[in-house]
Amino acid sequence: MKFTVPIGPQHPALKEPISLRMTLDGEVIRDVDIRLGYNHRGLEKLAEEKTWLQNIYLTERICGICSHSHSTCYTQGVEKLMEVEPPKRGIYLRFLVAELERVHSHLLWLGVAGHEAGFDTFFMYTWRDREVVMDILEMLSGNRVHYAINTLGGVRRDIDDLQKKKILDSLDTLRRRTEYYLKIGANEPSFVARIAGVGHLSKEDAIALCAVGPTARASDVAQDVRKDDPYGMYAEVPFEVATATTCDVLGRVVVRVKELMQCYNIIEFLLKNLPDGPVTVRAPRRAKPNEVVSRYEAPRGENIHYIRSNGTDKPERLKVRAPTLANYPATVVMLKNGFIADIPLIFAAIDPCICCAERAVTLVNARSGQEKVVLMSELRRQAHERWKKAPLKKDAVWPL
Amino acid sequence: MAALKTLLYIFVYPGLLFLFIYSTFCEWFDRKLYARLQNRMGPTHTGRWGILQPVADFIKLLAKEDIVPERADKGLFTVLPVFGIAAVATAMLLLPVWHYDLAQPSPNSFSGDIVVLLYILTLPTLVFFLAAWSSTSFFSTIGGARVLTMLFGYEVPLFLAVLSPAIMAGSWRLAEIAAFFQHKPLLLLPNIVGFGVSVICLQAKLERTPFDIPHAETEIVGGTFTEYSGKKLALFRLMTDVEMVVGSGLVAAVFLGGFPGGVILGFVNFVIKTLLIIFLLSVIRALTSRIRIDQVISFSWKYLAPLAVLQLLITIVLKGFVR
Amino acid sequence: MRVAAFLPEIIRHLFKKPATVDYPFEKLEVPKDFRGTPFLHPELCIVCRACVRDCPAEAIEILTVSETDKKFKMVIHNDRCIHCAQCVESCPTTPKALEMDHLFEIAAFSRWDLKKEWEYVKAQVKPKAAAGTPSAEAKS
Repeated sequence: MKFTVPIGPQHPALKEPISLRMTLDGEVIRDVDIRLGYNHRGLEKLAEEKTWLQNIYLTERICGICSHSHSTCYTQGVEKLMEVEPPKRGIYLRFLVAELERVHSHLLWLGVAGHEAGFDTFFMYTWRDREVVMDILEMLSGNRVHYAINTLGGVRRDIDDLQKKKILDSLDTLRRRTEYYLKIGANEPSFVARIAGVGHLSKEDAIALCAVGPTARASDVAQDVRKDDPYGMYAEVPFEVATATTCDVLGRVVVRVKELMQCYNIIEFLLKNLPDGPVTVRAPRRAKPNEVVSRYEAPRGENIHYIRSNGTDKPERLKVRAPTLANYPATVVMLKNGFIADIPLIFAAIDPCICCAERAVTLVNARSGQEKVVLMSELRRQAHERWKKAPLKKDAVWPL
Repeated sequence: MAALKTLLYIFVYPGLLFLFIYSTFCEWFDRKLYARLQNRMGPTHTGRWGILQPVADFIKLLAKEDIVPERADKGLFTVLPVFGIAAVATAMLLLPVWHYDLAQPSPNSFSGDIVVLLYILTLPTLVFFLAAWSSTSFFSTIGGARVLTMLFGYEVPLFLAVLSPAIMAGSWRLAEIAAFFQHKPLLLLPNIVGFGVSVICLQAKLERTPFDIPHAETEIVGGTFTEYSGKKLALFRLMTDVEMVVGSGLVAAVFLGGFPGGVILGFVNFVIKTLLIIFLLSVIRALTSRIRIDQVISFSWKYLAPLAVLQLLITIVLKGFVR
Repeated sequence: MRVAAFLPEIIRHLFKKPATVDYPFEKLEVPKDFRGTPFLHPELCIVCRACVRDCPAEAIEILTVSETDKKFKMVIHNDRCIHCAQCVESCPTTPKALEMDHLFEIAAFSRWDLKKEWEYVKAQVKPKAAAGTPSAEAKS
């Protein structure tokens, strides 16, 4: 007996709204239809109205957990457009914060995976240890999320010796606790029974469906932008790409924990080899007409920003391809022939950051269910027409 | 006079008022212990040490809007919470709390009352299933199906484990079983296996982690309780707490030697022994993660049922020697 | 795979102090460079409007009260502010006219309570010859 059941848009298993319509056969899932667009905010259009400098803060707010990855990916691209080369110390500090963000994101994910499996104790412990990282980030950048440490041409703040020592000391605690979590995650029988063998994605499927990040690496696809296309100073830093061969949720847990250990090594290397010098250079206000594609390894996978400039101080077009968007087709394959009880775990295993991935493409008429694909140029033309015809308000007072 | 005493039993002790106060205290104990095991604080500011938090939750729920879904079976939907509370409160009357001494037994104690108690304790599970079924929402239907599926898993080991000390004591009357183990406390030790099995099965009966699949929050929203709100939900939650008290009271009466010592000391005994069992239940809850429904069935039939049968065999063999 | 691998750890936590900070009865100290809310040192502002131009949230407004007396009014809309401190960075004076303090408990019941205003006379920019001194005293 097949019936279609909606998981979402509002559901306790999902942290953000997304609609997964499952066709069920008892407790087994036969098909999944993913509908996006509930979190669309019009960021790409808004980015065209703000200057290059203001857009750093805008791109940072695409996501809360991977905020620095969007900000860095954008800043890297714009620095390429403006032909500005940030100094070495600036680059090291920028990617120090990037690796700290990776640590905090993976610890957060471990807690969320535990909570989805019902293992609340694990959730509380990992998030307690994540507070160490949040305090370090607050000390470095002035805020626990949305670090705003990037600026065009480098970073905004410097690090002194006392802060360096504090970070190195907390690395010991973090290393110890992460090894403990690996032991627990792989040994607690009820937890392993939930995550082993669940959400299988074979290596061929992972490559064919363009899965990115730990989702692909758990299926033995050794793909990491930091190694394939090194940006920043990653060509000089020694680290390994973490992979696992089990192709299931347990593999993804193992990959993320291994990545955590690699992050600690990278952070130690960066702190011990921090070069002296300035942290920023001046950047011009305008960029020459050009286009650039910037790639970055976010905690969830490969993040791509495409930026086009037309010689003014505002971008002509900013397009964001977040890693979660690339993992959706793989999720459909993983969910097929699984149990209902596994839905939250499989979905959480790709580390969904739905607000990163919202780029509405298909318009669905809510009443009739008809779908229509609209070109971006068509949407812009409609927006401009409506704006031209809108009545002009004299002395418009901001409703704020 | 007898009528007054009966009314006192029903409404004050060991009846409804005592059950309300004690079960909210046990919920507080469970929540505080669970929080401390997770290195956090638990309820803190309502009353000293947050002891009034479950009462505050109950009162808050009573004040919320009570919505009955359109397609739900209204009669069944409304009556079930009250029926559930009635069932578990009745079960409490059969525990040998006040009148432990066989010389002056409780008017509720009769031969075979352990079987009746186990039967009445099955009623809450049926109430959950009927509540889920009468809600007619997708999530509650799945929750109801899971409740019944779990019943097939833990009921048999629970019965076998709880009835083993009864066989050793040679009686089906709770007061006599408790008295037997009071006179021969060393015979409590061979029942360790049964004790372990019944604590785990009690955890499954109370639908707590690792067996909280029927109302797994992250999967099926609320499971059985998805459509319940306001007063009905308050009564359901109270019913779960009272079930915890009665279940641990049963396990304590049978495995830990009952509650001797008359009125005051017996009451203290009752509190201490039930809190000990609730301590074990909380530790199990903090220790494990939720397992899937098919894994519950395979776990109980592969491990729990054989262990319960083993306990039964030990009891039978020992009875031959003890006599 | 050991059963109850977690047990010693959780029992040990029974005897430790909880990791929770009992806010608002206990508060944590914020670090030195914490980005709180922006505020103005009116005697240092030269009304270059760099902060107005660079603010991503359009949270700073500088209005001309009187052109002849060189009186200006700055309004900082703390309900729009995203606490990025770009205004502090763009400010060209030394010492900076805008500064971030450590306040973060600024919640109010209405957004109009969150706007702060300063009325002041524009400060004089010191001539280039003496610009090397670290503390440029501005004449009010």
